[in-house]
Amino acid sequence: MSNTVVKHSELREALKRCPESAIEAAVAFQETKDPALVPPIVLGILERFVEPDVRPVIREGDDSTRLMDDLGIDSLLMVEIVILVEETLHISIENEELRNIRTLGDLKLYLDAKTRGLPPPESKNVLNFEQIAATLPQQPPFLFLQEARINGEYAEGSYHISGDEAFLEGHFKGNPVFPASLMIEALGQLAVLFLLKSGSVAQDGPEVDPASVYFVGGDGIRCHRVCRPHDTLQMKVRLKKVHEPLAQFEGSIFSNGSRVARAEEISLTFAVRAAGEEAGLRLR
Amino acid sequence: MLRRVVVTGLGFATCLGRDASTVLGALRELRHGIVLHEPFEDPSVPVKLAAPVPGFRTDSPDAEDWTFPENLSFRLDQLRALSPNALYATYALRQAIEAAGLDAEAVSNPRTGLFTASAGSAMLTHHHIDRMKRVGPSRCSPLGIVASIAGTLNFNLVPALGIQGASAGFISACASSGHALGYAFDEIALGRQDRMLVVGAEDFTPETILPFASMRVLTPSRDPHTASRPFDRGRDGFVGTGGSVAMVLEEESAARARGAEIHAAFKGWGQSTDGTHMAIAHPEGAGLARAMRTALVAAAVEPYQVDYVNAHATSTPMGDASECRALKTVFGAGGERPAVSSTKALTGHALSLSSIMEAAFSVLAIRHRFIPGAAHLVDPDPEAEGLFLPRESLDKAPQVVVSNSSGFGGANVVTVFARHG
Repeated sequence: MSNTVVKHSELREALKRCPESAIEAAVAFQETKDPALVPPIVLGILERFVEPDVRPVIREGDDSTRLMDDLGIDSLLMVEIVILVEETLHISIENEELRNIRTLGDLKLYLDAKTRGLPPPESKNVLNFEQIAATLPQQPPFLFLQEARINGEYAEGSYHISGDEAFLEGHFKGNPVFPASLMIEALGQLAVLFLLKSGSVAQDGPEVDPASVYFVGGDGIRCHRVCRPHDTLQMKVRLKKVHEPLAQFEGSIFSNGSRVARAEEISLTFAVRAAGEEAGLRLR
Repeated sequence: MLRRVVVTGLGFATCLGRDASTVLGALRELRHGIVLHEPFEDPSVPVKLAAPVPGFRTDSPDAEDWTFPENLSFRLDQLRALSPNALYATYALRQAIEAAGLDAEAVSNPRTGLFTASAGSAMLTHHHIDRMKRVGPSRCSPLGIVASIAGTLNFNLVPALGIQGASAGFISACASSGHALGYAFDEIALGRQDRMLVVGAEDFTPETILPFASMRVLTPSRDPHTASRPFDRGRDGFVGTGGSVAMVLEEESAARARGAEIHAAFKGWGQSTDGTHMAIAHPEGAGLARAMRTALVAAAVEPYQVDYVNAHATSTPMGDASECRALKTVFGAGGERPAVSSTKALTGHALSLSSIMEAAFSVLAIRHRFIPGAAHLVDPDPEAEGLFLPRESLDKAPQVVVSNSSGFGGANVVTVFARHG
C-alpha cells in the first residue's frame, strides 16, 4: 500500500463524521494544497461538531454567522474544531489568533491566509474604544460605541450602559431609561464607522471625509423594549446602498438576546476626498 | 439529634437489568448476568467471563461510537465529555430521580446534593495520554481530562442536573460507593442537606477488568452458570462487571411531606480500616467486624435483629474466608439469623459500584419482602460453617438488612437499612 493511500485513510478516519464533500475536499487538498478547498473542508468540520438543528445555518454559508452565538460553539468545542482543522490542513493555530475569529467569515479569511502561507489577516476590522474614538468625529460624552467589528457588508458594535451617563438623571426622573433617540444615534455612529473604515465606498481611491458625514433620514424605526443601566446594546448595521453622497443602512439592536430596536433605513450623507488629502484638511 | 434518612428512589444500569423490576426478578430467581465475553477471546487473555450491562456498548474510546438505550440523549459537547461510567450513571440517576418522583426544581436547589463514586476511566485515560505522547498536548481533546479522571461523574452529572448542594466523589476502591452513601447519610442526618443523590458507577472495559487478571484474582472459569460462587469451597476468583446504580436519599419528613413512596429506612453506617495490607483483607476479618459493629451501634440495632447480610464476598479464596470470620465474630456461629448471601454470585464484582449496587439490592429485598439466596453455592467453605447461607431466595420479609463492602487499602464500609414504618 502506498504512502498516499495510508495518509488518505488516516485522513478519512480523522474526518469520519464530517460530510462526504468535506472529506473529498480534504483528500484533494492533501494533494493539491489548493486554498479554494479550504472553505468546504472547514465548513464540513464545523458541521460535524454542531447540533443538527444549526447545520443548515452553516450550509447557508453566511459569513456573518457567529460561531458562538449562532452555532453554539463554546470555547472547548472550538478547541476540538481547531485540532481537527490543524490535522487536516497541516497548520497550527495559535490561541492568540483564535481570539480574533468570531464569525464564519473571520474563519475563512484566516484559514485562507494560513494555507497560502501568508501572515494571518490583521484584526484591523476589530476596533476597541480608543481606535473608535480616533476614527469617529463623535467624541465622549457623545460617543455610544465601545467596541466594533467591520466585516464586508456590515458592522457590529456594542455599548454598555454604565448608569453614569449624565442624561440618565433626567431620562427619566428616578427611572433611568436609555433614550430611544440615542439608540438610533448609536446605530448611526456605527454606520459612520463603517463608512470610514470598511473601504466599501472607494477602495484604494478617495476616502470618506470624516467631517462630511451627517445624518439625513431614518425610516421604519421601532423600539421593542427599554434598556436600563447595566444592559449592553448589541448593534448591527448593514449597508444597503451607497452612492456618493448618500449611504443607506439597515440596523438592529439586541440586548440579552432579545430585540431592542430596529431601523429599516438610516441614511447618511458624506463626501469623499482624494487619498492623502487628510494632512491638508487638518491644516486648514 | 440526628435526622432520619429514607430511600425514595433507585435506578439501575446493571448486568441484572436496567430497571428495578427486572433486577428484582433476577434477584428473586437467582438469574445471573454473566456471559462468555467476546473481547476476552484472545488466547493471551486468561479470563473469559464478564457481566456486561444489556443495551450498552462502550468499547470504543470515541463516545460517538457508543450504543446506549434510546431514552438517553446527549448534546455532542456533553457526549464528548462522558466516560463510560458517567454514561451508565446518567442513565441510573435519571431513572432514580424519576422513580422518586422528583422534578427538576427538587433536584436543582441548595438543599439537594450529589455524591458519587467511580474510579475514573482507565480506558479513556490511556487513550488520551497515549495520544498526547504521540501527537503532543496541543492536538488532544480538551475534554479528555473531564472524561477520564476520577471525578468524571461529578463533572458530568452536576451541570446536567444543575446540582447546587454538596457534591463530592469518593475513592476507596471497592468500598467507594459505600463511602458515598455513608457520607450522604451524614449530610442529611446532620441537617446540612434535605436530599442526596448518590451514584456509583464503573466502566465495563478490558482496561478496568483485566488488570485484576495480573493479580490472579479473576476466575479462569468458562462456565457462566457456576463461575461466581462466593463462599463455595471451589471458588477461584471474581467475574468483572460495570454499570451504575443510583439512590435517592431524603430526610424522612421531607419525603413524607411531598408524599414520596418510602422504599426503606437508611438506619446508619459504619466504617473501619484493616491497617495491614494494600490489597489483601485482614485474615481474621477484624476490620470488617469492627465496621459492622460500628454500623449496628450507629443504627441502634442489635446483631440478633439483623435478618439478612448482603456480604461483600467476591468469590476469591482469601477475601470470602476473611468475611466468614468477620460475620461469625459479630453474629456468632449457629442459629437461623441472619441469612447471608453475596449477590456477586449473580453480578460479579463491580468494584467502585459494588457497595451501592448491593445496598440497592438490600433495599429491594426489604421493600419486596424477600431474601436473595446464595446462588451457585454447592459445597460451602469450611470457614462458612455456622453461617446461614440459603441456597434459594427466601419468601421472608427482612426487617433489618446489613450490606458489607471492603476495598483495597483495607477500607470497610457497612450500611444498615430497615423496613420503614
